[in-house]
Amino acid sequence: MTTSGGALCRHCLLPVGPRALQQTINGENCAFCCYGCSIAFQVKSGKTEEWEAAWLLIRLGIGGFLSMNIMLFSLLIYGGVFTGADARVLPVIDILLLILATPAVIILGGPFLRETLVEGARGRLTSSALIVLGVGAAYSYSVVAVFEKNAQVYFDTATMVLMLFTLGRYLEAAGRARAARDLEPLLAAERENVRVVREDGTESLCPVRQVQTGTLVRVRPGERIAVDGVIVEGASHTDEAVITGESRPVEKSLGSAVIAGSVNMEGPLLIRSSGSGTATRWAQICRSVRDALIRRSPIHRLADQVVAVAVPGVLALGALTVIYWAQWLPLDRAMLMGVAVLVVACPCAVGLAAPLATSLCIGRLARHGCLVRDAGTLESLARMRLLAFDKTGTLTLGKARLVGIETDDAATSEALAMAAGLERHSEHSLGQAVVKAAAEQSIKAALARDVRTIPGRGITGQIGGAAAAAGSLALMRDLNFTIAPALAECGRRAEANGYSVIYVGWAAQTRALISLDDTPIAGARFTIDALRARGIRAIVLTGDLAPAAHRVAAALGIEDVRAGLAPEAKRIALGRYNRSRHKVAMVGDGLNDGPGLAEADVGIAVGTATDLARETAAVVLPVGGLWLLPWIIDCARAAGTTVRANLLWAFGYNLVALTLALFGLLQPIIAAAVMAGSSILVVLNSLRLERLPDPTSWQRAEDQRAGAENISRDARFSVALGAAIEQG
Amino acid sequence: MTYYLVVFAAGFAGSFHCIGMCGGFACGLGRDPRGRAATALRHLLYNSGRLTTYCFLGALAGALGQVICTSHGTTFALLGGSVDAIERVLASVAGLLMIAMALQFFGLLHAFHPLTVSFGSSTFAKSLRSLLTTRNRAAPLAFGVVNGFLPCPLVYAFAAEAASTFQALPGLLTMAAFGLGTFPAMLMTGGVGRLLAPALRQRGVWVAGSCILLLGIITLGRGVLPFSAHMAHGLLGGHPA
Repeated sequence: MTTSGGALCRHCLLPVGPRALQQTINGENCAFCCYGCSIAFQVKSGKTEEWEAAWLLIRLGIGGFLSMNIMLFSLLIYGGVFTGADARVLPVIDILLLILATPAVIILGGPFLRETLVEGARGRLTSSALIVLGVGAAYSYSVVAVFEKNAQVYFDTATMVLMLFTLGRYLEAAGRARAARDLEPLLAAERENVRVVREDGTESLCPVRQVQTGTLVRVRPGERIAVDGVIVEGASHTDEAVITGESRPVEKSLGSAVIAGSVNMEGPLLIRSSGSGTATRWAQICRSVRDALIRRSPIHRLADQVVAVAVPGVLALGALTVIYWAQWLPLDRAMLMGVAVLVVACPCAVGLAAPLATSLCIGRLARHGCLVRDAGTLESLARMRLLAFDKTGTLTLGKARLVGIETDDAATSEALAMAAGLERHSEHSLGQAVVKAAAEQSIKAALARDVRTIPGRGITGQIGGAAAAAGSLALMRDLNFTIAPALAECGRRAEANGYSVIYVGWAAQTRALISLDDTPIAGARFTIDALRARGIRAIVLTGDLAPAAHRVAAALGIEDVRAGLAPEAKRIALGRYNRSRHKVAMVGDGLNDGPGLAEADVGIAVGTATDLARETAAVVLPVGGLWLLPWIIDCARAAGTTVRANLLWAFGYNLVALTLALFGLLQPIIAAAVMAGSSILVVLNSLRLERLPDPTSWQRAEDQRAGAENISRDARFSVALGAAIEQG
Repeated sequence: MTYYLVVFAAGFAGSFHCIGMCGGFACGLGRDPRGRAATALRHLLYNSGRLTTYCFLGALAGALGQVICTSHGTTFALLGGSVDAIERVLASVAGLLMIAMALQFFGLLHAFHPLTVSFGSSTFAKSLRSLLTTRNRAAPLAFGVVNGFLPCPLVYAFAAEAASTFQALPGLLTMAAFGLGTFPAMLMTGGVGRLLAPALRQRGVWVAGSCILLLGIITLGRGVLPFSAHMAHGLLGGHPA
């Protein structure tokens, strides 16, 4: 990735594209995507002691002063004030206008001319060329007219077109920066400066990428911690919401580990960095988000191609307009029509239609912990109609839960007490589930002595003076415990159905069997229902046994289940669906889902996924974030709609205005106002995406369903993250 | 001529409102260390910038009114003496707008408040802040130009009045008279701004409101009453078209 192609605009965080505007501001090299962003950035970040920002504004203000005066006189001329006896002052006014217009054109047109020349030297025609040519024609014609003393002058056109375009670009950039608010804290990692404390006690600011292992970094209250490390001095609370999703402030004291991207809340801290500044998870998120912004979606690429061919086309069209109308009208009128064509066909809004809405959506998702790897993914998500789920670890917790106890003649509670008494000493996950179930049912575990773990079999011990055991059927046989045929049959059936079974025996007899099963995660049912409401079919592709898969699917309301699939088989199963015209997505967590995630149009990794799955996936959910899926789909669809509406609007607007201009029905000044207005409308239309409801509302609906007692962790997470972003 | 004197008076009275809003900016311009003349030049430049913006808005509004009227194929009402329906509508709208602004000045209407805290104002305010303390000689001019565009009910009211003149020149002159009316107070603001008691300022705002109300009622009357155009202009001396 080259530096020019991979950079983001310093102001609006959109990719700068091939036409980057490089500027040195306050001794720092900044890249901007357009002239408007360069103005808006200097206005926003400029401090009064830095003269560049102020100087820019002074120039624009004076440009405005001059062009408004020119417009005043022109309005009076058009209004017929200088007719009759007053007509003799007209030449004087023309000269006055020339005097006013010349500096105005230089001041306001300079940046457009520079862009045209720089790009022209590289063999490219940009939309600035249209403005420069149009304004140049109007101005030079008027200069000649002043000395000819018999023709109409068009200084107002020259200066007002420039003024309106400058103003339009500035307002557009200001709106775009608003769209980038969500991205700001995530992208800050790459340009963060840290306060490094040297051995002699002096402090200096240096970029975070220069931080090495062992560097001492001072972080003041309210600042973002930019490195992973350990506190060597001070104590405070930190807000880690951006990285971990933990919404409560985390207490930190001497020796505590801190993570990059968290915000230091109240006390000054001295941190010893535990790794290089570019290796933090924050920096990784930052890179991932930036890459997503830079990659262009297919629709964006299409729009760019249109823009690339539009400029030469418009130039030709402008020339044809002048030639055509010059046959019937005076040259100046024909020229004015040509200028109107050039100005109105400027395809500024088209180039803006796709990236703005996409970056807004990516930022919004990232703010809730969902990382999207590229803009095309959003388009695929919007058109996705089939979502394949992995079972274990995705739809289920991957943790066992007690689902039933079968006993021979003993009481269930007694069997559970015995089993819990033994399993208390076990570290096996199945054993833990038994202990937990006993505790939930308020059953006191029996007191066991001489407990021994037999690997692969189970656990044995002495309870009330008699030998007791909990484990597999093989363990029961080893201990010569008898088993009733009915119980044995029951156990066989449970195992065949995919349950995990623990046999419990004491006093030389197997008396009970405890069956355990994997549980669907909280909110999975709700998620599936919400997806179905959005017209998305959910299927399960799992490597697990069919009965277990069917049981989970039935609990979640999924009808289509493919069980016992090897990773390769998952890929093939997905490939079969891929052939239909809708997009297919796959949600997975593990190593075995890698091929499936790669095969699907959109691979989605859950937060607990292995690194490989996260690398393969195009979307990464936060930990415990499966319930965000319907919201993500909503966002992607809204973004898709917005992009299409933007393009339709921009193209439609251009076409209608262009037609009017071709027929000479549009004044160049009105054309410039129309064009500036169209870009601003595209920005405002995209900003409507900000009004999408937060995913918290989903969670709330689910909480109501489940009758949950307190606000969920995720809801708090997003609220706190929102607050952190406001502060940051 | 009387008409412009009324507008001037309204501008003068209204400038007590300006002191509350824009006076802060004028104070911020402060004194120039290069001496008394340089300070005067600074404030004069600032106010010329503001005046240019007002005149521009006035001419634009007047021209807009003219375009709307002429596009309906009528002769200019004031020249031809006939009052066309479209002109009546425009005059009524402008008059109602001015009356609404006047009521807002009296604190009786709050509908226009959201207009003054819009997206635009924050963007402009940001630009103003960095221009304010620059020591460049031309900065006050740029500052005044931007300042003129700040959302302000007074400016809206007089732009509406300018539009109801249906010609660029009277529109320009209306806004120029208004802008010149705000000159004395704004020029002195640096020195006397703090001396003016809030009670006096409040009274100024009431006078401004009354002037706007009067102009608004006359403009509305031009639209609504039969043959009122001549009466109204006879009363105030008419537009020197």
